[in-house]
Amino acid sequence: MSTATGYAPTRPAPSPLAVGVALAAQELRRMLRNPFLPLGLGFALWLLWSIDPRTEDWAGSSYEGMAMSSVSLMWAISVAAAVAFHRERVPVAVGAPVPEVVRVLARLAALVPLLALAGAFSALVAWRQRDLGGLPVGTEPGRTLDALHSAPELLQHLALGALAIALGAVLGRRMRHLAAVIPLLFLVWYLAGAFYWLYGHPVVTPFSLVQVQPTLVIIGPSDADPMAFPQGWLLSPPGEYQDGWGRLFVSTALAWWHNIYLLGLSMLLLAAAWPRSGRRALLAAGAVLAVLGVVGQFQVIP
Amino acid sequence: MMATLARATLPTARVIRWWPMVGASALLLAAALLTAASDRPGDLLLALASAALASLVVGALHDPARTLLEPVPVSAMQRRLLRLALAGGAALVVWAALTLLLTDSSGTHGVGPVVALASVGVAVAVWAPARSAVLIGAVVPVLLFSLGQAVPGGGPVSEVAALWHTDPWPVAAVALAACFLGRAR
Repeated sequence: MSTATGYAPTRPAPSPLAVGVALAAQELRRMLRNPFLPLGLGFALWLLWSIDPRTEDWAGSSYEGMAMSSVSLMWAISVAAAVAFHRERVPVAVGAPVPEVVRVLARLAALVPLLALAGAFSALVAWRQRDLGGLPVGTEPGRTLDALHSAPELLQHLALGALAIALGAVLGRRMRHLAAVIPLLFLVWYLAGAFYWLYGHPVVTPFSLVQVQPTLVIIGPSDADPMAFPQGWLLSPPGEYQDGWGRLFVSTALAWWHNIYLLGLSMLLLAAAWPRSGRRALLAAGAVLAVLGVVGQFQVIP
Repeated sequence: MMATLARATLPTARVIRWWPMVGASALLLAAALLTAASDRPGDLLLALASAALASLVVGALHDPARTLLEPVPVSAMQRRLLRLALAGGAALVVWAALTLLLTDSSGTHGVGPVVALASVGVAVAVWAPARSAVLIGAVVPVLLFSLGQAVPGGGPVSEVAALWHTDPWPVAAVALAACFLGRAR
């Protein structure tokens, strides 16, 4: 006669939500130990504090410099995202207790504090500009001394934070080794920030990553009378790299549309890091936003 | 030994991940074209290219089969040299293309900064803990470049931070000596 074998009662499997929360908490703890974050943030703060309108290299350089002062922070955010998403490449993840979608969502949730960091940095930029009493833009007779970044220009740091996360996620998820990811991210963000003047042409600026206003629009030959231009225009005189008189075009609408473009681009990039289910929806939404953003910018630029 | 390395050239070239180099080169060449079109000097872009290309060359040392290949009669340093020759050759081609497009204020277009930064990165990769050696080594060139940008000019610290750019060959010599001392690692 056989005896029935008794098994000890097993604990029920944790819900996907509990696993996701635990993974997000774990990723967050790891992220706080990432050495690139203090490095990138420190460099961005140093850059922001070194901008002084009294020692400008050229008219308006401090206004322009503040728009791109966050790029080293964006590089650090991208690296943090890449490191987090690179863990998804570990083969053991196939046998994980929750599907990849939940894991991706958990990693994204862990990266949300970095968006808050980008937001805090944009608030700091706003405070710094007011502390300096505004920034000069333009050249006489079209010049102001108390220009401040508008709300959408400040929010660009936040939109760039989203883009940094998406860029890091896709490179971390799809590339084999971080040794190639980190230099690539450095190159992308350095080219986007330090070389912002490459993308200042009205045809190129809608596609730029870091949009630095004002946009230069040539309005007359070098012998034109600057007093003949409308009084409210900010002007740029002819110079070494400029053939005629230019209008320095600053627009909140342009900055809003650019932020929409950045969000669309972020969704397109994130789609490449996303698991198969749901990827098409992200791609479609991202493409719509990106196209809308570009078209909107072209409508605004004179 | 040379025959063994020659036979290993093609398989090694196949396993190196080339598309980071291709992507970086495309970005650099696009930026160089825009810079050339606007008649601006290319000093900073060339310095950035030095750092990025050097990082990617060091990154090419990543060998997923490193532990598997340890028993073979070709040393780890020889396998490193083969990878460096392949990736370094590609980087020099990109560098040559960039110098055709850009003009810098000195007009030298020397390849020294790329060699110096890559050598320092390799030396760090040789001596760093094996688990993350290549990663740390690949980050070093971009960090050195950033340091040179961040430190204000005029002081001794800025001079040291810019040594890879101002005196690249002594820096490369010291780094290569460190690599030689670590040849058994």
